[in-house]
Amino acid sequence: MIEVKYFGAVAEKTKCEFETLSFSEQWSLEKLLQDLNEKYEFESLTFSVAVNQKIVSKTSDYTLQTSDIVALLPPFAGG
Amino acid sequence: MSSSTRYNRQIILPEIGEEGQEKLSRSKVLVIGAGGLGAAILPYLASAGVGEIGIVDHDVIEISNLQRQVIYKTEAIGKSKAKEAKAMITELNPLVKVKAISEKLSGRNAISLFEKYDIIVDATDNIAIKYLINDACLVTHKPMVYGSIFRFQGQVSVFNYKNGPTYRCLYPEENLNAANCEEAGVLGVSVGIIGMLQANEVLKMILGIGAILSGKILVYNTLNNEQQKYDFEKNDFQTITREAFEEKYNKCEVEEVSFESVLNEMDNDEVLFLDVRNVDESPKISLKNQIQIPLMHLESKLEKLDKKQTIYIFCQSGIRSKIAFELLQKHRFKNIKSIAGGALVMRNLLEEKKDSHEFTNFIF
Repeated sequence: MIEVKYFGAVAEKTKCEFETLSFSEQWSLEKLLQDLNEKYEFESLTFSVAVNQKIVSKTSDYTLQTSDIVALLPPFAGG
Repeated sequence: MSSSTRYNRQIILPEIGEEGQEKLSRSKVLVIGAGGLGAAILPYLASAGVGEIGIVDHDVIEISNLQRQVIYKTEAIGKSKAKEAKAMITELNPLVKVKAISEKLSGRNAISLFEKYDIIVDATDNIAIKYLINDACLVTHKPMVYGSIFRFQGQVSVFNYKNGPTYRCLYPEENLNAANCEEAGVLGVSVGIIGMLQANEVLKMILGIGAILSGKILVYNTLNNEQQKYDFEKNDFQTITREAFEEKYNKCEVEEVSFESVLNEMDNDEVLFLDVRNVDESPKISLKNQIQIPLMHLESKLEKLDKKQTIYIFCQSGIRSKIAFELLQKHRFKNIKSIAGGALVMRNLLEEKKDSHEFTNFIF
């Protein structure tokens, strides 16, 4: 099981601020992001991705571990 | 002394003391944007005794600003935000030197402005300008205190602090689509909280206390009071040189003026009208302070031009003058403008004025 947190306009798309996802076989971060994109159609939204509170490259070949927390952080523009 | 009485409650903090107060009074902070974030940041920087504060905002106060931009009075609707914010600060703490800059921040003015301050605060409400601020901070080696809002969530970070990670390290993809408060909506307290966190980082940096949010982004949710900090690293590819900055921001932005708007400057010796047409082209325009250098020879004859003068460039219809504008810009000319419509428009206007006997000092 991993937890995925959503912020800002990304959470508007997912209509939730977090969810837990389970996986049985190896799951890379890149694949997770592809799957989420298919599910939620982020389209033109940009965001950075953090794993366990650390921003990482979206194309990193990191293999997700049980209890990882992934966060999708879009830039905000209001002020 | 009245100033140490004024600041007594912070001077008695062992982390600050007279020495810290001295640091504050010697510091210079530029706040870009006097909207919701700026309205929270500015009074706290001023009342803490920051020596010099610059405020950049080209907007005027609108009634829909007042629910979150709490430093403005209802009667100030329609007035300049930068000027009103300056007046507020002067009343709050006359010891602060304040400069109101009612200009839009652009690639043209950012670097020269940033050079005059120690810390740059991003209190703006659009993504494009955040990249501009980031890049100008990189060129001038200044820290950028970032804050932004999406509905009930806010982000705060300090970029380029002691050469640390930048906005581009966090958000390398320059997507300009994120919604601002106008589009997304916001409650005044949310921008207030985020602005206050920014002001806190500014003061900590000046005083040299605490841990600065460098390489960390704080995300705050005002609905559930959860806050998270995320670490990010410096990416050396995300840097920018002064040349690259000029190329990116100052390239194709040709500044045009109408001839009519500069007519009253015709006799001003600080001004030069530069005709970049070939000598055989007509109508001939002969103004008092005028020089003719055909575009094809311009680059080799730059020594004929004085960078201190304001140069109005014209050609036949306003096309070549734009090319000349870019060429002069490349050679670091600052006070240049291209006359829209060129000599054809100028001739017509001069004839009109001649008929009405307003001007006589030109010949065709």
